[in-house]
Amino acid sequence: MFYIEQLLIQLLLNFVERDGLNAFWRDPQNTAVVIGAFIAICGGLLGVFLLLRGMALVSDAISHTALLGIVIAFLILTAVVGQAADLSSPWLILGAALAGVATVIITEALHQSGLIKQDAALGLSFTLLFALAIILISGYVDHVHLDEDAVMVGEIGLAWANTNSHCLANCETVTITPDDPRAEIVRQCINCRALGITPRDEGAIFQEFCANCGVYTPGQAWAAGLTVGQPLLVFWPKAVTVMGVLLLLTLLFVLLFYKELKLSTFDPGLAQALGFRPAWFNYGLMLMVSLVAVGAFDAVGSILVVAFFIVPPAAAYLLTDRLPIMLFLSGLIGAAGAYFGYGLASGNLFGLWQMDNVLINLNRALGLELASRWDSSISASMVLMIFFFFVLAWLLSPRYGLVSTLIRRHRQNRYFDDQVAMGHIYHHQDTATELEELMAASLHIHLRWTPEKMTAVLKRLQAANLVKIVNGGARLTPRGRQQVESFRQANLSSL
Amino acid sequence: MDSNQSSVNSEQLSVGSGQWSLVPGQSPADRRVWGLIGLMTVLALLFVPISQLFLGVEYSYTLRVVAVGGALLGLISGALGCFAILRRQSLIGDVLAHAALPGVAVAFLLFGRQLGLLLIGAGIAGWLGVYFIRAVTGTTRLKEDAAMGIVLASWYAAGVALLVYIQSRPDASQAGLKTFIFGQAAAIVEQDLWLIGGVGTAALLILALFWKEFKLITFDAEFAGANGFRLNFLTMLLSTLIVVAIVLGLQLAGVILMVGMLIAPGIAARQWTNKLEQMVILAAVLGAFSGGAGAVISATAVGIPTGPTIIVVAVGLALISMAFAPGRGLVWQQWRAWQDRRRFAGQRALHDLYHYAIDHGSPKTPVPDAFLSGIHGRSAQRALQQLVTQGQVERRNGKWVLTLAGVETAARQAHNQLLWAVYREYGHSLGLPVINEDRRQKIELLLTAEMIRKLENKLEETLV
Repeated sequence: MFYIEQLLIQLLLNFVERDGLNAFWRDPQNTAVVIGAFIAICGGLLGVFLLLRGMALVSDAISHTALLGIVIAFLILTAVVGQAADLSSPWLILGAALAGVATVIITEALHQSGLIKQDAALGLSFTLLFALAIILISGYVDHVHLDEDAVMVGEIGLAWANTNSHCLANCETVTITPDDPRAEIVRQCINCRALGITPRDEGAIFQEFCANCGVYTPGQAWAAGLTVGQPLLVFWPKAVTVMGVLLLLTLLFVLLFYKELKLSTFDPGLAQALGFRPAWFNYGLMLMVSLVAVGAFDAVGSILVVAFFIVPPAAAYLLTDRLPIMLFLSGLIGAAGAYFGYGLASGNLFGLWQMDNVLINLNRALGLELASRWDSSISASMVLMIFFFFVLAWLLSPRYGLVSTLIRRHRQNRYFDDQVAMGHIYHHQDTATELEELMAASLHIHLRWTPEKMTAVLKRLQAANLVKIVNGGARLTPRGRQQVESFRQANLSSL
Repeated sequence: MDSNQSSVNSEQLSVGSGQWSLVPGQSPADRRVWGLIGLMTVLALLFVPISQLFLGVEYSYTLRVVAVGGALLGLISGALGCFAILRRQSLIGDVLAHAALPGVAVAFLLFGRQLGLLLIGAGIAGWLGVYFIRAVTGTTRLKEDAAMGIVLASWYAAGVALLVYIQSRPDASQAGLKTFIFGQAAAIVEQDLWLIGGVGTAALLILALFWKEFKLITFDAEFAGANGFRLNFLTMLLSTLIVVAIVLGLQLAGVILMVGMLIAPGIAARQWTNKLEQMVILAAVLGAFSGGAGAVISATAVGIPTGPTIIVVAVGLALISMAFAPGRGLVWQQWRAWQDRRRFAGQRALHDLYHYAIDHGSPKTPVPDAFLSGIHGRSAQRALQQLVTQGQVERRNGKWVLTLAGVETAARQAHNQLLWAVYREYGHSLGLPVINEDRRQKIELLLTAEMIRKLENKLEETLV
């Protein structure tokens, strides 16, 4: 990771100043939005395939059971190393990813037994694994910040503070040994406290200590006045690198195996027959999902990760029928959610709406005593923003949206009413029952409609020059007759 | 190959034999299930003295409350979970548990930490989630799992946002809210038991009252709708009951494990019975057992959390049931398959030998070793031994030859298979009764001589 960052920094410094780079990452908003967008794009791309396979909730299960992988890897590492293992070790990520894949395998095995359905198998396996993880944690892991909270709740707003520093110039690492002239040697009485005597008393034994020995990073060395030139440092948030690498892996996975993923998603039987081994791609996909879920733990917490896998693809699914466009939209919606979600965390919705004002008004109206400053979780706000986009897509999608569906249904209803009324007129016109059946004033009785509806339909038909009222009786115009006849020919040709 | 196929068929049949029986009355299987229900009840009651004697558990006030609470919640969620499982909505438990969070947060914000109001808030939020899922699946092409995922993630995010806002307040009154969300059994007090018991009893009463309707919409919603049952109302009522079970269970199991509490007892019960009333009662008993026993086990040592222990017990019961449930469990399936393979090994081998021989000229053509071991693998040896003892095959010059008796048997079997094939194709048009198609049986034994003659005639017709 460290070397990747160095390469990147060298590359970026061709375009931006060092100060600019540091200022950019030191702004919590930039860091949070970049990381959030990376997670959202990873989740959006992989989530599309999960959604199309009907496995949306698998990401939820995986993100929970990853905890078991982390715990087991932690315990093994601790046993091997002999001391509490580092929580950021890549082995833990690997363990978590394997646990995710194991969840899928166990679920499949339970389902294949034919005894329970897929959803029940998933619910059974992931709760068991998660329960085991918690029991292991409470039984064997002490003094380490590894608990449900650590995994369930993350805060992307703090990511900017967790950085690696990279040195560009004056990168002198200083090591001070006791022989060094700069070493500060102090004499200290080592048995005074035990014997209850002062250093001046007899019997006091002294030892010399070096007070400032040790290894100094360039930054520390300069601050301690050990070096002359100020080192040029670049601070790089660790989470950006982790998610950047995962984004790269995801993009590679989707681009390289696009054809195979597409085929095994839409027609696993054909994929199998053509020799593509859909099962392998299934497990590959699950491995990627696990990796992304684990990589995003720190930033957004394990439950909210699920949102990035499920909601953007669902919104994209309502907007398009084509896989490449769906992938693109899904990533875009996720990234946009991350961008606008940051503002939402402080109660600002696109600059249109201030949550603080709402709270103040609430307090005033209901006599409550709520804190009047809305300052909330950034990652949760990003999810809410993505959800907001989903609702927008649901309402406004040109083809599948609620509004367009309602309009379409309304049009169909009107068209159907028109045809029914015109058909009735066509049937009775110029027959003996004409006077009884076709009087405009009583037409609604024969069709069993309300008078208002009848009036509206007749008005519409008259305006379209399909029906005219002659002596209080409805008659088809030539145009209306032609339309009824073509309708009968097209739809009732079997009569 | 035909007999080979039929043995596979019968295995699938036995797996799928879990047909829901609609015929009332007591069969041996019924008595077995009622016996099991009784046994589990007795075990649950005996668990207290046993754990005192052998595990050295001391029933302090806290443990008594937690154990009774666990048993109550297990009972309620076990009974109601059955419907979630049968409606293929097992994960609704997971979704609603997460979706309850914003309701809890809002109720807390407005009224403070009062259990009853927190539960009502959770219920309303969960209910809105159910409604949203129905609205999305009803108006778009998104599947139920995607809609459930959206509710899970978005509702939970709203809850987290509210919680973070609450925690930013200076006063420390939010203490205890977190334990409510992640589940902490020790936080349950006696007062809560009355609440759980009261609400749970009401939910179970409603379940009993609408039993017929719920049964109908669970197994055949279309039929129920066509017969004038109010589908929307009933579905929402059932979902509401499930919401209630989840909301009650949250403080014991926590958001994430609640789904296990809901479905594991039902899955276990499903393995033992094909009748809904038995399944629900057994699930309730198993749930109560897991809840109580899990609470007690977690008290045997310091640091074993109660919620996860209950889940492990419940899922353990489900896995044991899946393995050992009579007639349906994996162990039984394997055993039956093994027995079938053994019993019909000779018959299959004879069939293959006969066809090989005929394809290579006459029924007396010698068959090389490699052919049989190629098809049957390791079981070829045993099959041949069976055939040799029956005097149907003999070894000549390192090859296998059918004896006269063997040829006769094989020909009879082949003819039997042909009759079965004719029966399948023309049985209906010949007006023959419907019989279970097990091609290893002799069809003559299952039909009358008159019917067999019809089949024979048809066979001759088709051969010509």
